[in-house]
Amino acid sequence: MLKGENISFSYNQAGAEEKAVLKNISFEIREGDFIGLIGSSGSGKTTFVKHLNGLLKATSGTITYNGQNIYEKGYKLSNLRKEVGLVFQYPEHQLFGSTVLKDTMYGPRNLGMTDEEAEESAKSSLKLVGVDESYYYASPMELSGGQKRCVAIAGVLAMKPKILVLDEPAAGLDPETKFMIFDLIRRIQTERNIAIVLVSHHMEDVAQFANRVWVLHDGTLKMDDTPANVFAKVDQLDEMGIGVPQITQLTYELMKSGMPLPHAAISVDEAAKMLTHLLRKGANA
Amino acid sequence: MIRDITIGQYYDVPSVIHRLDPRVKLMGVLIYIVALFLIRNPVLYIVPLVVTIVLYAAAKVPASYFFKGLRGIILLLLFTFVFRMLYTPGDVIASFWIFNITSQGVVKAIQMTARIALMITGAALISYTSTPKALADGLEKAFSCFQRIGIPVHDMAIIVMIAFRFIPIMFEELNLLMDAQAARGAKFSEGNILQKCKGVITLLLPLFMMSVNRSSDLAMAMEARGYSGSHEVSRMYPLRYRTADYVSYVLLALYLAAFIFIRVFL
Repeated sequence: MLKGENISFSYNQAGAEEKAVLKNISFEIREGDFIGLIGSSGSGKTTFVKHLNGLLKATSGTITYNGQNIYEKGYKLSNLRKEVGLVFQYPEHQLFGSTVLKDTMYGPRNLGMTDEEAEESAKSSLKLVGVDESYYYASPMELSGGQKRCVAIAGVLAMKPKILVLDEPAAGLDPETKFMIFDLIRRIQTERNIAIVLVSHHMEDVAQFANRVWVLHDGTLKMDDTPANVFAKVDQLDEMGIGVPQITQLTYELMKSGMPLPHAAISVDEAAKMLTHLLRKGANA
Repeated sequence: MIRDITIGQYYDVPSVIHRLDPRVKLMGVLIYIVALFLIRNPVLYIVPLVVTIVLYAAAKVPASYFFKGLRGIILLLLFTFVFRMLYTPGDVIASFWIFNITSQGVVKAIQMTARIALMITGAALISYTSTPKALADGLEKAFSCFQRIGIPVHDMAIIVMIAFRFIPIMFEELNLLMDAQAARGAKFSEGNILQKCKGVITLLLPLFMMSVNRSSDLAMAMEARGYSGSHEVSRMYPLRYRTADYVSYVLLALYLAAFIFIRVFL
């Protein structure tokens, strides 16, 4: 759906030397994708996701949405913003409506939906993220941190995007709420059938949910592969300052110390299967 | 654009000006502005202009910062110039439609515009060359005599310092919010006045909430580190005058005296 070719970007700052933040990135988001975007701090992740809905314009390169160049004259970026929903870090800070429902209706209203349509869309999105109806007319400021974040995500979902980009949606949350958010993201994908791009530092979750992983390092897209293939390159990732899931690290160390495992596991289940298989073989021999 | 305002930004380089005592710099700004208002002959504005340029060079602040300070008030300068020129009575030198341009008007216009522009660029230098903390310390020390008659100078200095500290943070947050609301379909530069006002609300409300939250966090953090608002605080780096500071005071006094002399006797 969304395709980028040779995207480069640098901030233009008077006085300061021009510094390339993104260098020659090509990517493609296909229908049904769940992409995990990983990279150490300062690798350009946030700058990159701002290109996906046209908030930033690449210095060079093109981005096409369903074959249409978004940088072409006359292309309305507001159309793209409708198709590509972007949830920023700490999205709860952007809430401003007097009630939860009104805040959620803000996005759809901007897109020109009538009040009835907007309300319907908002309500179905709030329901999807699990905000109880009793909160619809409460002020967003009265909610807990986790609930606020859910409302903020619903605010973007209500615009009915085809691609949902989430920048560190679980940052600063306790483990339980974090789990709830990831569960929510998976539910959004299956129920709405939309593509997801998830920026995350939690490698376990990336390994578990994503079907593809992008590794961004120093402004370049170093890897674009399945989680298993990406996380197998433990040493390479380590050099870029990116960790791997703990279970991958463990199985990788076991392999290094001579245990005959086929490859590093990316989930506990996979590791358990490998190890029991190995132990059975050992017992039979 | 609102996104690149530099007020309250400290430009961190080592220089003579940076090392000066903040009290000297505050007094310097005061004298500089008073001198600007003493000028009657517009040619004399060359002097503060040269002084400002020399000071910027001595402070190693790049020329782009000099103009950045002006960019924000360009409209104000333009209005001042045009209206002063058109609405000053005197000898008409040119006229069209209902407007008369007088020679006195042109002089006044140049005078006012130069005065405002020089005031802003000169005063901006102090924020480029002093940290908010140094400024607050300087203010406090300079006005500490008023503490005795019950004016809470110390508290006021703290308030000023914190306010300065928050300016860049708020601009950063404003940028984030503009992006976040744009991602939800907001168009800040389109629509009629009413729609634009509504757009501003979606920024101001969260910005306000964040500021309130941050101040209460800050208050707690300060209390946790033992700040009680008492005035008997000892300083890690007490303000002490050095030779350069005394020299600067003498130079400032001469500068002011020269302008008073010109005003009174010439």
